[in-house]
Amino acid sequence: MRGADVLVGVVGLALGFSLSRIGFSSYDEVHRMFTFADLRLLFTFMSGVTLLGLVWLVARALRLPTPSDRRPLHRGTVVGGMVFGVGWAISGACPGIAFVQVGEGQLGALLTLAGMFVGNAVYSRIHEKYFRWDPGTCE
Amino acid sequence: MTHLPFWLGGIALAAVAFGHWLLLRRSMAVSGRITSLVNRVRHGPEPEPGMSVEELMAAAAAATQAQFGEVPPAPAPAVTTSAPARAPAPAHQGTLTHVIWFVAVTTGGALSMLLSGGWSAEGLLRGQTFSALFQGPLGAAALFVGGTLVGFGTRMAGGCTSGHGLGGVSRLQPGSLAATAAFFGMGVVTSFLLGRLL
Repeated sequence: MRGADVLVGVVGLALGFSLSRIGFSSYDEVHRMFTFADLRLLFTFMSGVTLLGLVWLVARALRLPTPSDRRPLHRGTVVGGMVFGVGWAISGACPGIAFVQVGEGQLGALLTLAGMFVGNAVYSRIHEKYFRWDPGTCE
Repeated sequence: MTHLPFWLGGIALAAVAFGHWLLLRRSMAVSGRITSLVNRVRHGPEPEPGMSVEELMAAAAAATQAQFGEVPPAPAPAVTTSAPARAPAPAHQGTLTHVIWFVAVTTGGALSMLLSGGWSAEGLLRGQTFSALFQGPLGAAALFVGGTLVGFGTRMAGGCTSGHGLGGVSRLQPGSLAATAAFFGMGVVTSFLLGRLL
């Protein structure tokens, strides 16, 4: 294990703890967000994105490095996003959240996790066989 | 557990995403790590990153000198402009790093429970909505099928809530804006449809 791995652990711990305290790992909260019954989670996300955008603006103004990965639109962007949205609403989890739920003792999320890995592998196989565009990845 | 007010939650999300960039020099991306692990299972381990361009040039120069006994001219120095500073290259992240990340995120959730009244196990998910919608084996099936759609969709869209929603939207990346609108939109539609079953 190298120094970078320790930092990965620290950031991951902070993410898991924060998501749990925000309530992103609660099925009730996520359902209330998607049905607009409670806007707290939505506002949380929107304020997080806005703050992060301001941080990048300030960093650029100070000529500090900012992430440079481009995220172009491709043929899988919208369809893939829609499939993900259906799955999120059904399972109550986006990829990071499923891990948080398991940590919280919501053990059904182990099934969500298994599904996430299976779905990822299934798409990669379909993509290799039938599609040509570069789906991109966060890494 | 009492949840954070939205502004504090927003600060936490931005701080974690910025911390990820600051400490690891990559955008935070959860589904990207799943993709890396799946690729490694399907195609075997990625080759370790080889030499950097500078190392390669130096090695080539040394080899040329050994062969021909003359020192080749040094490559022209890079033109310095007032462009923003280039980030140092991120460290290579292997399988172990991804596993550490996932264990850490999971532990973060456990720690949150331990510090707010104690950890306990729940067969499927907590809360009234899920147990009102799905019981028993149907609940297990819903989680697996939902998870499969999440995995399929995030790989197809090339990102999830962290990479597209937080990292990409905060930099107004076109693909991220479209993907986020798409997954949020379908989350709303699906949740309203599920809500009619309640």
